[in-house]
Formats: sequence, structure tokens, C-alpha cells
Amino acid sequence: MRDIKELEKLANENRKRIINMIYKAKSGHSGGSLSIIDMLTAIYEIDVNFNENPRSRVVLSKGHTVPAQYAILNSKGIIKDEEMSTLRKINSRLQGHPSIKDIPEVDATTGLLGQGLSIAVGMAIAKRNKNDNHHVYAIVGDGEMQEGQIWEAMMQAAHYKLNNLILIIDYNKLSSYGDVNQSMNLEPLKQKVEAFNFHTIEIDGNNMEQVVNALYESYEVKDKPIAIICNTIKGKGVSFMENNPKWHNGEISDEEYKIAMQDLENKE
Amino acid sequence: MENEMICLRDKIGEFLCEFAKQDNRIYVIDSDLAKSTKTLQFEKEFPNRFVETGISEASAMSIATGLASEGMIPFYVNFAIFVAGTAWTQIRQAAYANANIKMIGTYAGMDNGKDGASHHANEDIALVRAIPNVKILVPSNVKEMKEAIKIAIEYNGPVYIRIARDNVPNVEFNGVPEMGKSTIVKDEGNDFACFYEGTSATIAYKGFEALKEKGYKGKLINIFSIKPLDLELINEISEKVKCILTIENHSIIGGIGGAIAEVLAQKPTHAPIRFIGVKDVFTESGTATEVKEKYGLNVENIIEQVKSVIN
Repeated sequence: MRDIKELEKLANENRKRIINMIYKAKSGHSGGSLSIIDMLTAIYEIDVNFNENPRSRVVLSKGHTVPAQYAILNSKGIIKDEEMSTLRKINSRLQGHPSIKDIPEVDATTGLLGQGLSIAVGMAIAKRNKNDNHHVYAIVGDGEMQEGQIWEAMMQAAHYKLNNLILIIDYNKLSSYGDVNQSMNLEPLKQKVEAFNFHTIEIDGNNMEQVVNALYESYEVKDKPIAIICNTIKGKGVSFMENNPKWHNGEISDEEYKIAMQDLENKE
Repeated sequence: MENEMICLRDKIGEFLCEFAKQDNRIYVIDSDLAKSTKTLQFEKEFPNRFVETGISEASAMSIATGLASEGMIPFYVNFAIFVAGTAWTQIRQAAYANANIKMIGTYAGMDNGKDGASHHANEDIALVRAIPNVKILVPSNVKEMKEAIKIAIEYNGPVYIRIARDNVPNVEFNGVPEMGKSTIVKDEGNDFACFYEGTSATIAYKGFEALKEKGYKGKLINIFSIKPLDLELINEISEKVKCILTIENHSIIGGIGGAIAEVLAQKPTHAPIRFIGVKDVFTESGTATEVKEKYGLNVENIIEQVKSVIN
């Protein structure tokens, strides 16, 4: 098992990359990138080896939080340091949402919410038929759970008993509008997911130890797809962003940037 | 009509099975309509490569994208209205990724006559044609249909194949269908050139014969490849004939008439173009023949349109 402290350190470095990118882009989704980065860092560190083919796949269905994925790909050397300041800019590979035509390692072209879990179902069926034992992860936002296609794909994943499919729900409780459950109530979420025949694990998604334990538990599941409901804090790690719906999307000022980087450096 | 009338839809399962025997990357995805789309045979022969999604077209299309990204060649086979309409943004995302997905839309245009306007796919060409990267093929006979599937398998990227449910004349065809190529099936003069897409073959042939009886000598062209278009042929013909006629089992907005008009409009001069198809209205229930007849796909309309230009 990977060292928790080491993973926490990597996640914090990725947080800094996220803030740097969005600050320079003067646009981008900070809140949801920061809430999912602990889980995303752990998945890539534990289960994704870019030198392998085939390998485990990660579909970032909540594609607007692609700075989190770019941060990890930068840490792996797939996105070069000089590219990191080109997010959302013309002539850049770093599109506003994941695009495999630009960066194949993002694994799926997403951005229109609701579609990524189905893509992951297709990948998982193919992998099983090819006797490829790697996993397929679908990272879905809580607001995205309001999309009907997600529930279609959940039926299909369970119908085909895709135990190589791991659905990660980033339950940070906030969407663009504000309180996600006020715009459309997801609760009782865990019971719903369980009722759709998923092996369901609920954790604090910003607690690295719980994140890692949940992943290892997933790998042992037979005959069912897995869902990890990650209770997270939107904007986690940056004091003024935490739990503030304003930081769903937006420009970071010079002053805010300084505070954010200070917050993250204090965690080292 | 001298040619045997056949239902191309009936061959979908058979041809896919034939190709799947040689290529284990081929999958079929179904949304509870395998009985109608004739892919049941595939399910029997290749149960592991047949993915039933239930009635969930959007998810089915994205599942196809996922299968393709793992190296498979998935065919999503369904009614044209569901493929091109219900799952449109899913096609668009797949096309943006240039995913190697194949779509077969059958019950095209008004072929699903009795089910009524809700099920008439009179906009599928327009919807799919507007999406970058997707190729569109419309076979009009058995040989072309098999070749269209073969072309789709060999091409790396999204392909939409529009297949008739209604009967079409199984015209003897000696050429080799190609992406980006249309075929002149009859060449008897330069009064008019009539372009048709495969699912409107029956009325195109009838119209051509009726025009001949009225003394108009023209050309009949099977478009086959709607995207990309055979620009060379269209440009060449438009300079020779007095009238261009397009016939489609589709709305006259955004279909083959629109596609050809987009080409011709860029020329300083060209023959006038007339459109045979559904005129920006919703249709109704009836037999496929009755509905098509009532909504513009009839011989009288064809003669009238040609006369309006030539006389």
C-alpha cells in the first residue's frame, strides 16, 4: 500500500498546479478540481501506469474539472511545464474540457455532463472481453448525478456485473447554482446507488487514508460495479474557496492567488 | 419496375455476422429493437459482442464510444430517429474524439409509416451532416449495403449508414461503391440530373421513367456518399444539364438537396435546383407509401418541378 503521507504531499502539489493554471488562464473550475484531487491523485498513483498498455483508464466525466487531470499529467511528464500556462488559450493542447484528440492520456473526450459513465461502461465491457484485468474509473460530479444518462449507465454497469468499473462520485454538495440538493435533491444518495446494485462505499473524499482504503476495497469486489461516494469540500485546501459556490468557476485575482498559494504552502 | 423489390433492413444482421466472423473487434449495440433492426442473428452468433442497453439510446451511443476507445468496432443499430436524434450530443462527442464508432440508422425518413410523425426520421441527415468528422453513406441496393458496412469497418472514425426499411428496387450494380463517390445509374440526356439517396430509390426510378415518358431525357444519380460529397461529379453535371433535381426521403431542409445546393451556390452559374422531399412540416400515420406520396415524394411533384425549370 502506498504511503499516505507521500500521497497527501503529491495531492497538495497538484493543488498548487491547479491554482497556478487557473490563475494564469483567468478562467476555469477551481472548486471541483480541488475537491476531487485527493481521489484522483490516489487513483493515478496506485493504479495507472502510463508505461503499460493496456492499462487502467480514468474517464473524467465531470470534465470541467480537467485542471485536476492536467495537474496529474504534468506530474507524470505527459504535459510539459511550459504548457501549463496555456490552459484555455488559443493554439493550446490544454482545452477547457478533456479532449483525447489533443491529449490522448486523458482517456476520454468529455465535458457534456452525463456521458462519461457510459463511456466507462463500454471500456469495462471491452476490457472484460479481452481478459484485461485493469480497472476503469468514471469520475462523476454530484450535480452531474442529476443527468438521466448517469442512471441509464448505472443500470447497465450493474446488469453486466462490471466489477472492473469504479464510479467515483465527488459529493462536494455544491453545483454552479449553489446547494446541489436544493437545485435537485439527490438524497438518499447512498441508498439509491445501492439500490442500483452497486457495491457502495461512502468516505470522506479529502481524507487520503479513507480514499486509499476505499480503492483497495474496490479491487476485491466480485460480480458488482463499485461506487465510492466521496464526501468532499468544494475548493478544499484554499481557505476562501472552501464551500463557497462562487468558486465553481472564475478568475483568480493577484491577491487571491497569493493567499491560495500561501494556504497550500502552509500545508507542506 | 423490372427490378426485384427488397428490404435492405433485413440484411443488417446477416452482413454484420459475416464481417464479425472475420473480425473479432466488431460489436453490435442494441436498444431493445434487435427484432426490428434484424440484429438478433448477431446476438445468437456473438453473444459476448452483442451489448443490449435496454431502451437507453444516449447511453448506448456513449458505450459505443467506450468500446471503440478500447480498440473495438461497435455498430450501434437502431431506428434513425433514435440514433441521430435522441443521441445527438453523444454522437457529437464521439465525433469530436474521432471515435471509431459506426451507426446504422434504419427506418429512415418515412419508412416507419404507420408509427406516424414521431417516428419519421426526416431530419437525420441534417443532424448528422452538421457534425464534423462523421461520414454518411446511404446504400440503395444489397451490394452497396454490404460494401457500405465494409467501408465503415475499414475507415477509422465515425460513420453513419442510413438504411431503408421500406422496399427498394435491387438494382443491378456493377461498380465498386466508394466513400466520396456517387454513381450515375442512368445517363440518357442532359435535360435534367436527378440525385437521390438510397432510401428514396423507388420514387427516383419511377420519377425518372415518368419524365422519360414526357419526353425529358436526363441522368439518374445515386448519391451513396452524402459526406463527403462527390464534388467533382456534382460540379461537372451541374454545368451540363438544364435542371438539377434532388429526391430524398427526408426534409428538404439540410438533407441531400441542401448539401448539393451548398456546393452549387458557390459557382457563378449553375443549373436551377429543385427539391423533392418533405417541406418543413410534420407528417402523419399511414403506410410508408401513402405517407411519402402525400408529403411530396410522388411522380406528379417530380414532373411539375422539372417542368417549372425547363418549360
